[in-house]
Amino acid sequence: MRRLALVLLAVAAPLGAQGVDGGSVRARLVGRVPDMAIAAVDSLVRAAAADDLPTEPLVQKALEGAAKHAPPGRIVGAVADHADQLRQARTLLSRAGGPPPTAGEITSVAAAMVRGLPPPLAERIVSALPDEPPGPALHAVADLEGHGFSEDAAVDLIVAAARVGLRGLRLLDVATAAVHELQRGATHDSALATVRRALPDVPSPPKPSPAQVNRARRPRPGA
Amino acid sequence: MNELDPRIHQVLDGELPLESLPPELRATVLRLERAAGLLRAGEAPASVAGRVLAELRRPRTATPGRRVLRWLTERHAITIALRPIWSLALAAVLAAVVLVPTHGTPPLLGAQEGIAQFVGHFPGASSVDVVGPFTDWRSGVIPLRDDDHDGVWSAVVVLPAGAHEYMFVVDGERWVADPLAGRYVSDGFGRQNALLIVRPVGR
Repeated sequence: MRRLALVLLAVAAPLGAQGVDGGSVRARLVGRVPDMAIAAVDSLVRAAAADDLPTEPLVQKALEGAAKHAPPGRIVGAVADHADQLRQARTLLSRAGGPPPTAGEITSVAAAMVRGLPPPLAERIVSALPDEPPGPALHAVADLEGHGFSEDAAVDLIVAAARVGLRGLRLLDVATAAVHELQRGATHDSALATVRRALPDVPSPPKPSPAQVNRARRPRPGA
Repeated sequence: MNELDPRIHQVLDGELPLESLPPELRATVLRLERAAGLLRAGEAPASVAGRVLAELRRPRTATPGRRVLRWLTERHAITIALRPIWSLALAAVLAAVVLVPTHGTPPLLGAQEGIAQFVGHFPGASSVDVVGPFTDWRSGVIPLRDDDHDGVWSAVVVLPAGAHEYMFVVDGERWVADPLAGRYVSDGFGRQNALLIVRPVGR
């Protein structure tokens, strides 16, 4: 019912929404997304644009559903849910203070919440690290939670790492170091204690070798 | 050929004055002198030896730039002394450069781009693709390869730094979340996507 209401709301959104080229969105959907879903998805995208939310994740969700042969209603529902997650992420970031969040920040917070981070926990992390890009910190906590660490212990470790100078993607290395301790047979508590003692010295993953870089291809979806 | 009157020879040699000749012979002498004058006025065709000597004697006044230009535009015989073994080695190197596939030129990575390596074990598969927002969820954009047919398929790809959801599509129809990904998210369609976080190479 909530999903239907969202869809109806989206269909009723002003068609002249700014910041998104409706024609180009439609052109990307036509031929890939079932015709029955296109109008609703297009309206959801326009509504998101009118609300200053990033729209590309919504287009991608529709393309994903179509590629996975989801029925039209399911595609529209998934796009509406994702718009809701983006809106929730923006609200959370706005409450944490600071300048208006960027599209990238909104998208990364939404992605972390899709991984299962409860919004209050995400808000707690964002508020504790106001000068930190939220994505890596949230994913680091989600990584720890995914391996059975408690919410509180996970947040405490990542915040402690940020306070000793680890920034951005290095916070993911902190979570990885704790998981490696578990894989070596440590308990959760001793893994946390070991990593906390080692901070800020946690290993970084190896950089890609020149051979890997030379072998790498650049995807060209439209080609 | 008609023989000339000997008196004409004597006049041409200066032994007799022209006036001593009868008018018809005098006219002949005048024609001969006009013809000789014409021949003197034109350049006589030089022999090859003459041309070479003339070239050697010609004063060299050309500037260095002009000389270089002349050297570049004139024909030269160039002799390269090369052992046959080196010729074969050079031919082999050229063949390798031309014939060995390079799989395209290496990509230039932007500051906010990184390298993602996708690996999956799909024995018996005839094709494996990785799909995600970076392919607009299309198959066929990034096919994985299994060159040694051991069932391990892989691809190395340049992606923007950040989090990327993805799945493998096996044989064009079977959607599989990467079992080695370690991070997964609900896809909203009842399945889970793998999640990859790409680091910028310049980190």
